[in-house]
Amino acid sequence: MIQTLLYGLTTGAILYFFAIGLSITFGTMQIINFAHAMVYALGAYFLITFLPILQGFFPLAALFAILAIIPIAYVMERFVIRRLYGESLDYAMIATFALLLIGTDVIKWIWGNTPQPVTDPIGVSFQLFGIDLPLYRAVIVTMAFAVFAGLNLFFKKSIVGKIVIAALEDTEGVRCLGLNVDKYFSIVFILGSALAVLGGVLYAPISSAEPYMGFDILLIAFAVVIVGGMGNLTGTFISAFVLGMVIALTGRYYSQAADTMVFVVMAAVLIFRRSDA
Amino acid sequence: MLYVDGINAGYGRALVLHDVSLKLKEGEMAFIVGRNGAGKTTLLKTICGLMKPSRGSITYRGENTRGVAPEKLARRGVRFVAQDKKVFSNLTVRSNIELAAYAAGEDMPAAIKKVTSIYPDLQRFMDNKAGGLSGGQREILLIGRALVGNPRLFLIDEPTEGLAAIVIEDIFRILSRMKQDNVSALIVEQNLSVVSRLADRIFIMKEGKIIREISEKSEMAETSALESYL
Amino acid sequence: MSPLNPDTSLSRICATKRTTIYRDMVLMAAGFLALIPLLAMHRVTDFMIFCIFVMSFDLLYGYMGRLSFGQMLYLGTGVYVSTLFSLHFNPNPILSLMAGVVGGAIVAGILGLIVVGLEGASFALTNLAFNQVGFFLIGSAFQKVTQGEDGISAGVEPWGFLDLANEHVAFGFVLLCLLFTFYMLRILTSSPYGIIIRSIKENETRVKFLGYNTFFYKWLTFVLAGAFAALAGTLYTLYVGFVSPVFIHPMNNVDVIFAALIGGAGNLFGAIIGGVLFMAMKDTLSTHIPQWEWILGLLLLVIVFWLRGGVTGLIKSLRDFLRARMSRGPVAEVKKG
Repeated sequence: MIQTLLYGLTTGAILYFFAIGLSITFGTMQIINFAHAMVYALGAYFLITFLPILQGFFPLAALFAILAIIPIAYVMERFVIRRLYGESLDYAMIATFALLLIGTDVIKWIWGNTPQPVTDPIGVSFQLFGIDLPLYRAVIVTMAFAVFAGLNLFFKKSIVGKIVIAALEDTEGVRCLGLNVDKYFSIVFILGSALAVLGGVLYAPISSAEPYMGFDILLIAFAVVIVGGMGNLTGTFISAFVLGMVIALTGRYYSQAADTMVFVVMAAVLIFRRSDA
Repeated sequence: MLYVDGINAGYGRALVLHDVSLKLKEGEMAFIVGRNGAGKTTLLKTICGLMKPSRGSITYRGENTRGVAPEKLARRGVRFVAQDKKVFSNLTVRSNIELAAYAAGEDMPAAIKKVTSIYPDLQRFMDNKAGGLSGGQREILLIGRALVGNPRLFLIDEPTEGLAAIVIEDIFRILSRMKQDNVSALIVEQNLSVVSRLADRIFIMKEGKIIREISEKSEMAETSALESYL
Repeated sequence: MSPLNPDTSLSRICATKRTTIYRDMVLMAAGFLALIPLLAMHRVTDFMIFCIFVMSFDLLYGYMGRLSFGQMLYLGTGVYVSTLFSLHFNPNPILSLMAGVVGGAIVAGILGLIVVGLEGASFALTNLAFNQVGFFLIGSAFQKVTQGEDGISAGVEPWGFLDLANEHVAFGFVLLCLLFTFYMLRILTSSPYGIIIRSIKENETRVKFLGYNTFFYKWLTFVLAGAFAALAGTLYTLYVGFVSPVFIHPMNNVDVIFAALIGGAGNLFGAIIGGVLFMAMKDTLSTHIPQWEWILGLLLLVIVFWLRGGVTGLIKSLRDFLRARMSRGPVAEVKKG
């Protein structure tokens, strides 16, 4: 049971890394970014590429993977996402989905179709209540909390963060002050993508890197964002962990239903939310 | 300083403004009066850049500003205060001002001074979340935010809407102060008492057109006549 | 002029539409028959079934403006309900077909109550979520009944001269269904109901203020879209005879979305053209290039950024352009779509 709890927390952490970028992108630009899944997968694949070059030193390879995504995210934002501002949501979804299709095929070309395993970088277990638990997972969970705290600080204290929070609520108001909102959204988009990469990097050792890994998490991440509230930073954090636990607990008793349970929860939340409103 | 000529603007295929023209001199405080739906907000939004006219031209301080983005116009001194009195409610009052200061390149003490000078009481609320402010306080904060930096043209949409009489007098006092400082302003307002006491000129709008322009002080004082246009 | 202005001589519109509908139906039948020598009859039949699905999707997306990433659910429901009906209740093809359609309509009716009140993103994604759940139920949870991933053979047997194992009969029957769908949807979309739906797409609040219960209309459209999607599903059952969860897999939603866009959304002809084009493209590409999804991606981007109206949009612009050129008068009347 302790194991299940830890796995639930780990899943929640990875979900958080992935979902927070989605949530912010939607909150600021009103765009559902399907291509986020591609960025996530790229993270894992960059890791695989960098690891042997860096003699298997995981943290550095992870860092490089994150740095590598920055230009890619910038190009994506500048040439596709930005053109979708103010467009109907449908076209934004379709365009970002198109990016996902292209990106996935690119991944398949470069790295091939077969899943590639990555070894647990820590490989050490620790003991909790007499049970062996992989330390790596605990590290992931801790990092999620750290990121959450960091993001909170960023949005509350830094001027960029404050501008984004203001823009989340009143984009026109920010523009009328003289601030180029696009620039800040761009920064936030890149930040969200970097976090998705972090998620992909951290997840790779748990499972393996395969071209469609983004698709699976994308769907659940949507549920996380819908439940937590689009653009709601704290809500996304909480719902990521809650749904992570749902997956882990359901997985324990009826493994194939794990994902489905998430959607049931999402549907329930949606129904209750509407009856409140 | 502002010259609007033959503007057509609307939402999608629905045209709201039909061939609207007006002139505003430097230091002039003009008011736009008219019924709901006459296009007053659309006119202000078009001038400040939030909406793009499908036809016509806008000349601001000698430059053609049709189609220019609102943030660029803001940096050139255009200040738009929206009708819904929306502030950045998740930020503190201080942070609200901070954003304005950052955008205008002004340092915080100067900015805060500008804002509190029109309403010293705001000092008390500096570290409260702006969302907790009352309607009148929000309007004051918005006007204060607009004062930060180097504002040249104020476009204010219904400043007294929804406010209690006492608060309206506060707003009136603030606008009077601004008038004494010779600001240029185009203000949409339905409160004729405020209008008649402050206006240098009144534009009356109906169904997307400016149907009358009043510059005689004597005519402005006839609020009963003006009322017929509301 | 308000789109709901009753002075628009609705009856006049409907009358002209009726003759054009018959003309269009004849054109389409001719078109599909013409495709036979090019593609082989059984492929054309496949194409036609897909076109029915695209039309159902277009009703929801093109006319009402709601993008759903989960219409495969209703296709799949049609598939499996008709299959299971034919196996356990009655092998009659018509009855199985009706069972499938009713099944799809019921599921759409129930889920529609939850989904229809949602906006853009939530709507699209929740439908996707339901699709995923449906896929899970068919593939895993109800495995005992559906044989899960292995799939099952339908138990449909010939009824009178309706022997769908016979290629020609199948072709004719599917063509009939396609024409029927086209006819029904044409009538619907030119009726007052259709105008309300299109108005909801433009400005729902205004429609509400005019006193219409927009929730009901949205729900009704959702049910209709589900029913016709299920119809396409039942045709797969009857025609292919062997079904598996691929017919309900959420990823396949891309196909129908793409087809609707490439043909031109909000336009039944567009749906059909798009359906044919997509299937043809898929056939050609998959035989020559092993990985072709990126081409799909690129085309989608092109459509979103430059060719919003799809093929029919392109044709319309061309026609307007030529008309303007040919009239050579001082003011060429360019009809706005």
